Amino acid sequence: MTERNTDLEARTEAKPLPRVSPATDILEREDGFYVYMDIPGVRREDLKIDINENEMVVTGRAGQAASEKETFLEVQFGPGEYIRAVSLSDLVDREHIKASLKDGVLTIHLPRLEKASPRRIPVQSA
Amino acid sequence: MVLDFNTLYAFPGRFDRLFEEFFKPQLADGRRLAYPPLNVSEDDASYYVRSELPGLPLEALELTLTDKSLILKGERPTEQGKYFRQERPAGFFQRVVALNVPVDRDGVKATLADGVLTVVLPKCEECKPRKISIDVA
Repeated sequence: MTERNTDLEARTEAKPLPRVSPATDILEREDGFYVYMDIPGVRREDLKIDINENEMVVTGRAGQAASEKETFLEVQFGPGEYIRAVSLSDLVDREHIKASLKDGVLTIHLPRLEKASPRRIPVQSA
Repeated sequence: MVLDFNTLYAFPGRFDRLFEEFFKPQLADGRRLAYPPLNVSEDDASYYVRSELPGLPLEALELTLTDKSLILKGERPTEQGKYFRQERPAGFFQRVVALNVPVDRDGVKATLADGVLTVVLPKCEECKPRKISIDVA
């Protein structure tokens, strides 16, 4: 029991936080694409979303919720740094990307560019 | 291609991922098999059960405290739409935490913050170890 506890402490203090790739859903709806990421334990202040040319990188830091005095009997998750990159296609309107964080789930809405919406080309008779 | 997941696309990133997969700590020690993951800890006053439950409001969770166990039940919903990638688990889940120790049943509290559930089970006053003074006859 104590062995595991010291193990956890060593992991949190000595080494940088372990990098975790968060579980991610990517789906498409009428109004664009939606990205959902499970990042439990990350507060809004500790979350960063960077967009480079055609890659969106989400980084978040989940801290240790327990106090110092507690001894652990069972550890199945711990503090970590979530990091995940999603490639963006040219169809995404970069100016209007919206992100929200609720109950540990990050939702990113990637709207489609106006001009990329499907349209029909009329055929004129010569 | 709409969202590019081509394996040849972000080549340097692919190497990083390859290494990460080798050193993944959670999968290596065989945990993460049961859902949701639980942390159990104690201090002088209470036992703490913590769990990662992203995307669930407290109303969607069902916590039952029986004589010998704490039962955690709920359902994770799926989003509507055309999926390109689905990694987040969905559906019903249940976990049972066996309590082999007496707890103060009326003082149990549960909170949910940023997708992390914390259940505080106070140790009962009567069950704390006590010193018994021995009177010399």
